[in-house]
Amino acid sequence: MSVSLGAFVAVSAVLFFIGTAGVLVRRNAIVILMCVELMLNAANLALVAFSRRSASVDERGSVFVVFIFVIAAAEVAVGLAIVLAAYRNRPTVDVDEIQRMKG
Amino acid sequence: MPEGPFGLDPVIWAPLRLIIAVLLAVGLVFNGALAQIYLERKIQAIIQDRIGPLHTGPWGLLQTFADAIKLLGKEDIRARLTDKWFFLAAPSIVFSPMIASFVVVPFAPGIVGANLNIGLLYLTTLGSMTVLGIVIAGWASNNKYSLIGGLRSAGQLISYEVPQILSLVTVVLLVGTLSMVGIAESQPDWRINFLILPLAFVTYFIAGLAETNRNPFDLPEAESELVAGFLTEYSGMRWAIFFLAEYGEVTVVSAIATTLWFGAWHGPLTDRLPLLGVIWFTLKTYFFVLVFMWIRATLPRLRIDQLMSLCWKVLIPLTLTNLMVTSVLLLAYPSSRIPVAIANWILLGLFGLAVPFFQRRRLASLRERLRAAAA
Amino acid sequence: MTYDVVEPIFFALLTIGIVSAGAGVVLANRITTSALLMAFSFLNVAGMFVLLGAETVAAFQVLIYVGAITVLILYGVMFTPQQPRAYGLFFQKQTPLAAIVVVPIAIFVALFAFSFRDAPEAGAKGHDLEPLATSVFRDFGFPFEVASVLLLAAMIGAIVLVKRDEE
Repeated sequence: MSVSLGAFVAVSAVLFFIGTAGVLVRRNAIVILMCVELMLNAANLALVAFSRRSASVDERGSVFVVFIFVIAAAEVAVGLAIVLAAYRNRPTVDVDEIQRMKG
Repeated sequence: MPEGPFGLDPVIWAPLRLIIAVLLAVGLVFNGALAQIYLERKIQAIIQDRIGPLHTGPWGLLQTFADAIKLLGKEDIRARLTDKWFFLAAPSIVFSPMIASFVVVPFAPGIVGANLNIGLLYLTTLGSMTVLGIVIAGWASNNKYSLIGGLRSAGQLISYEVPQILSLVTVVLLVGTLSMVGIAESQPDWRINFLILPLAFVTYFIAGLAETNRNPFDLPEAESELVAGFLTEYSGMRWAIFFLAEYGEVTVVSAIATTLWFGAWHGPLTDRLPLLGVIWFTLKTYFFVLVFMWIRATLPRLRIDQLMSLCWKVLIPLTLTNLMVTSVLLLAYPSSRIPVAIANWILLGLFGLAVPFFQRRRLASLRERLRAAAA
Repeated sequence: MTYDVVEPIFFALLTIGIVSAGAGVVLANRITTSALLMAFSFLNVAGMFVLLGAETVAAFQVLIYVGAITVLILYGVMFTPQQPRAYGLFFQKQTPLAAIVVVPIAIFVALFAFSFRDAPEAGAKGHDLEPLATSVFRDFGFPFEVASVLLLAAMIGAIVLVKRDEE
């Protein structure tokens, strides 16, 4: 094994913080959803790296990753449904403009 | 690292082997498409009681070359407002997964690109990447009809992935491995899986028809409906790539059906001469390709809502029931396959009888309603 | 032997792909470019999984993320067209503050991450299909069922949320 575990975790950390920066910085709700997916991917990468480079035989990290896939898919579906419902009310997906509870 | 033939250094052999495999796959797809284009036109003609291509070469055999030369000579038009990079990239995104599928297809006992232990999962994954290419093609054309065609096609493809995967999982339950070579080896001689799981084959075939956008599910590319759907703005060689991708996908679906249900390379004399398996595999695959074409020449096209309700209301409950029954029976009778076979044939018979029964009831109620409305 | 030479090269290529695609998602001009760069980033993460030897997880990553989630996000993008606006208006008011806070933390965490080492007994672990399947369906059978109920709830919720009120 020539690529150490630390390298994979470092890549995962960088991707996670890129995603965080995206969530904090962008205004478009759909781009924010995309950056949340990037953060989930970073977590998946770290989990699989730890799971494969550990001493145990069973793949518990990868099991967690499978459940994260499920939850990420469900979250994107519901998140997009919410964004589309808000868009139908007032035709914008800008998070700075969707700030009043009354339509 | 495997050593190459004539004692080639592994460092040279590994990438060389990859390049040879890719060239073989591309050659296979192109030659297959040549044969399929000609066969399609001849078979459609024969079923429609006409003759088909006749003048280009003996029996019209050079028709495909004439088509190819025409397509290559067309002007490469690109509408100005289309998104340049996405427009150009879309055919490649649709074509690449199809080529990559040929790496796990087992042609003969020793001849397989890579014996992946997740072979079937790999094929399913590649099938789902095609959807992305079609959505991009529909969107990048900057054309209302293309967009609607692309989104409809994507919806159709995503919906029909579910019965497709469930049928494949039923076979995997029986065989116990996802590796394509393992599945092919689990069906010695005449004990093909079709005798045990025929309903899974039927549902896989119907879902495969929808996955490859073939009649009766070809609404997204129908000429009479949305101009040509997501293909409207593509002409010449770009259209040819989409076309090749569709024929290649038909070949892949047939190859999967052959491997899973009909004992991929098994046939007479294969144990004596393993290479003969390639011939049996090709014959079986092309038999299913011909059935695809036969269905195209015979059945009318389904509307988008009929297509979707067929998937969600008929195929998914059917495949789920099949999966449930198969897994329960495999757990109850772990050593014998006869109960699973009996249950599957009974379910197939029920499905076959249920279709005309329900259609007749619907027709009667429709006639009732029309009569009441006219009165 | 040659694998030890090739593996860092692939790792470097995949890292460049992931980081540049991620940066592209945040900074891209058009939202469709962001969506496709996100798909590219997913593919590179799947490549990382293959490099780690977890090929089943890699196949699931491509199947679910590239095949389904990207298409969902593209549908969302297509159904919410917006007026074109200046590039500066893409970013929120707190952008400089966010950059000042996030970048040092990112650098610190990335440097700290390099200190992780492989477990001493971790050898070549082989395929991950069987241990994964055994764990999911045997040890974690109950979370699996809960996840399927969650998917059902999400599906019903999404359908209800986008239903138009029939007048």
